[in-house]
Amino acid sequence: MTNGTQEPPAVLIDQVSKWYGQVIGINDLSMAIDGGVTGVLGPNGAGKSTLFKLMMGRIRPSQGSVRLFGVDPWTNTSPYRRVGYVSESEKLYEWMTALDFVTTLARLHGMTRDEAKERSEHVLDFVGLTDVMHKELGKFSKGMRQRVKIAHALVHDPDLIILDEPLHGCDPLARTSIMSVIREMGEQGKTVLVSSHILEEIERITEQIVILHNGRLLAIGNLHAIRGLLDKHPHRILIKCEDPRSLANLFVSQEPVFGVRFPREGQLEIQTNDLSAAHSVLPSIVVKSKQKISSIENPDDNLESLLSYLIKEGG
Amino acid sequence: MDEKGRSLSETVWTRMDRKAGAIIELTMRQLRHRVSTWVVLGVGALLMALLLIFYIDSVRESFEPIDNDGDSVDNDGDGYPMGQERKYGTPDWDSASYPGASVFISESDIDWNDADRTVALNKSWEGSAFFEASWVDDKYSGEWWDSHVDWNLNQEGIPELTDCSDWDLDRILESIWSEACDMGDGDGDGMNTYYVAGKWRGAGIATVPENYYLLWGYWTEEVYVEPEPPEMYINEDGIDCFNGLFLGGPYERYEAADWEESRVECPSETALSGSHGYDNDGDCLALNDGRGDDENENGIRCDVQWIASNGVVTWIEADELVDEDPDEQEYIGELDHRTFVIAVGKMAFVILLGLFIPLFLSLGLVRDETENGTLHLLLSKPIHRAEFIIYRLSGYLAISGSYVITLSLIVGLISSILGPGDQFVRLSDMPVWIGIGAATTLVLAAYGSLFNAMGLISPKYGVYLCIVFGIWEFMMGSFSIVNPNWTVASISISHWALQMIDAVVLLAWPDTIQWAEMDKAFEIGSGLSVFWQPPVHTLGTASAGIALLNSILVLLIVTASWVFIAKSVFSRREIL
Repeated sequence: MTNGTQEPPAVLIDQVSKWYGQVIGINDLSMAIDGGVTGVLGPNGAGKSTLFKLMMGRIRPSQGSVRLFGVDPWTNTSPYRRVGYVSESEKLYEWMTALDFVTTLARLHGMTRDEAKERSEHVLDFVGLTDVMHKELGKFSKGMRQRVKIAHALVHDPDLIILDEPLHGCDPLARTSIMSVIREMGEQGKTVLVSSHILEEIERITEQIVILHNGRLLAIGNLHAIRGLLDKHPHRILIKCEDPRSLANLFVSQEPVFGVRFPREGQLEIQTNDLSAAHSVLPSIVVKSKQKISSIENPDDNLESLLSYLIKEGG
Repeated sequence: MDEKGRSLSETVWTRMDRKAGAIIELTMRQLRHRVSTWVVLGVGALLMALLLIFYIDSVRESFEPIDNDGDSVDNDGDGYPMGQERKYGTPDWDSASYPGASVFISESDIDWNDADRTVALNKSWEGSAFFEASWVDDKYSGEWWDSHVDWNLNQEGIPELTDCSDWDLDRILESIWSEACDMGDGDGDGMNTYYVAGKWRGAGIATVPENYYLLWGYWTEEVYVEPEPPEMYINEDGIDCFNGLFLGGPYERYEAADWEESRVECPSETALSGSHGYDNDGDCLALNDGRGDDENENGIRCDVQWIASNGVVTWIEADELVDEDPDEQEYIGELDHRTFVIAVGKMAFVILLGLFIPLFLSLGLVRDETENGTLHLLLSKPIHRAEFIIYRLSGYLAISGSYVITLSLIVGLISSILGPGDQFVRLSDMPVWIGIGAATTLVLAAYGSLFNAMGLISPKYGVYLCIVFGIWEFMMGSFSIVNPNWTVASISISHWALQMIDAVVLLAWPDTIQWAEMDKAFEIGSGLSVFWQPPVHTLGTASAGIALLNSILVLLIVTASWVFIAKSVFSRREIL
């Protein structure tokens, strides 16, 4: 994912391992990231936070090297001039107002008081907190706190932004607003790394993903390409309707469907080898059946399924 | 260079002032939001308020005139104060003996082995004799212990005494003391003979027994001496210094007027080695015993020997009762005031505030950020960890240092307004208070960096390490006050800060050595020589300036060392 220019990539991880005593946090990880929004996916404990802490120089790799813009962040803090970091930690200076908080931290980049205030107002506006910027952080909701953290990471107009679980614990409204902020940063040409353990969240933000599992790099590339691989795998579609059996009759004749089940009263489970093909025929069949459909779910379309598929393929 | 023209190399160590300003300001605001900050600073202010009350209550009292040598009293109730009685050589325990009272003048005697043992006279007698009396004075009396004989005269003027005419000589000599007995008129001349032992007055023939003595004489006429008011004996013998005109000569050669002429302000630059002091109230001269009146053994009676070296008076020794009742406002007030300033500077500022403020404010400067989980906010910025420690400490120092400097100036201003002297504010105090503020600030820096390092080395047990350090420092500080020469104490931080105060005191008040000596020599007991001694670490130059620079340097090196240790620990620490 390098941009091919002379300048070193924003992030270069070279055969990095990190273990805490007996516990392995990151296992022989290599990758280079530069430009665009990259989702770092993995279940809890996959090594996402460890990876970010390595990048932020908070911990030192047990093996291998980490470089931000070609510089080792453990020994030199100069890359942080161009990095914005949103930690997973919820802790803020509760007694400060949002503007105060962002301004204070902006000054740590060497801005004057006035520059810092101006930039802070700008980024707080960008994350949609203009109305509450004079309120104390202690009175902020979870979503607002996440946005303040993002604002502080953006205040110095960084080239690389690292967001550790920025959507964690946010309500749907906050989630949507944060996602749009992240997308916008990507559109501005910045390198954005955003971690999550929820596939659907990342899917709404970016196509470019890195999947970590047990400290290892499981996959790297385009989410849809990876999903495409998954789609060729047996998949389930769960439909809740009035008469599952009559609907089943309409499906069995279709090409991608190789089997049906009735797991519960009022539920139809369709088994397919090609999820996208199945979804493309689904609307016409539903119309044809004239039934009232209460929901359509893809129980296999989540990170866990993707992981178990990738692990099996990899194995 | 990136596309925005920013170079990585110029980002970390450039614009340090702005980054420093931001962290210092953040640290100060954080400290301001903590209750413990206000508690410890409030307790400090309260302590100073109490000390000022103590100053007003106790130290200021020493400006009132006090009879230091206690000679304004009249113990025997004869109407003359002790000072006046000393001057006239009369005791202050005998009401019959007072200035101008008649005095017994002895004329002659018959010793225990004189050959001629009989005399016929009209005298005042003292001793033992067979007295054939033509007249006795029954009004000749004195105190009960004085052995005056009571003649017990009857209405005809005949003594009525024990009859001892039948007694043998041994019985008479053994039995009669402080009285007389009647031996009758043995020779029939109409005059009875009495055996008398004690003091009496009369006319007759006295025969002294073998191995006994008798002396006789007369009493002078009593003259009236005006009793002096007791106030005259308060502050009547001040500390005198002279311009060297008369130094070294025999004391008696000069008149008081000469001394007055050559008197200079004391202590003074001109008042150096030599014989100073003048027994203004004459009580030393009245001693005339050859011991106390030349206690300093310089061969001059009733003076004060001053010894100076390199222009500084280093030793003062006074003869007994010379310059022993100086003016309080001028001397004791000054001594007590200086003692107060130095004691408060050392004990309250350096030792108490110097230890407790850092214990509460600096221990968690970096550690608490880790514990609160807010450290990542600061460390994700282009700031070196060593920089971070220095800025945090600077923020802590900005609060604690400005606090102690303000407090020292307030206490200094109030005490210098209340202090002795004619001027409204004692301006010469101000450099000392600034020195106390500066010494305390350096101590705050040294302890701050030490305690901060302890908090980083052992986040869990650091506080206990700090308490152990604190006890050590408190003990070494206390020892350093009493004996700054003790080498072990110099491995403490407090020792160097106390040395700094000693040096500043000597620079601001160059005559303090002399004052301390005066305190000892004239037994004023202000405690100046306990709380202050000349600075030790002068590298053999005896220069207070060098001692001051030396102490500042040591404190700065200690501070820098602990910052370096904290930095080394912190740079290697992984922040999970």
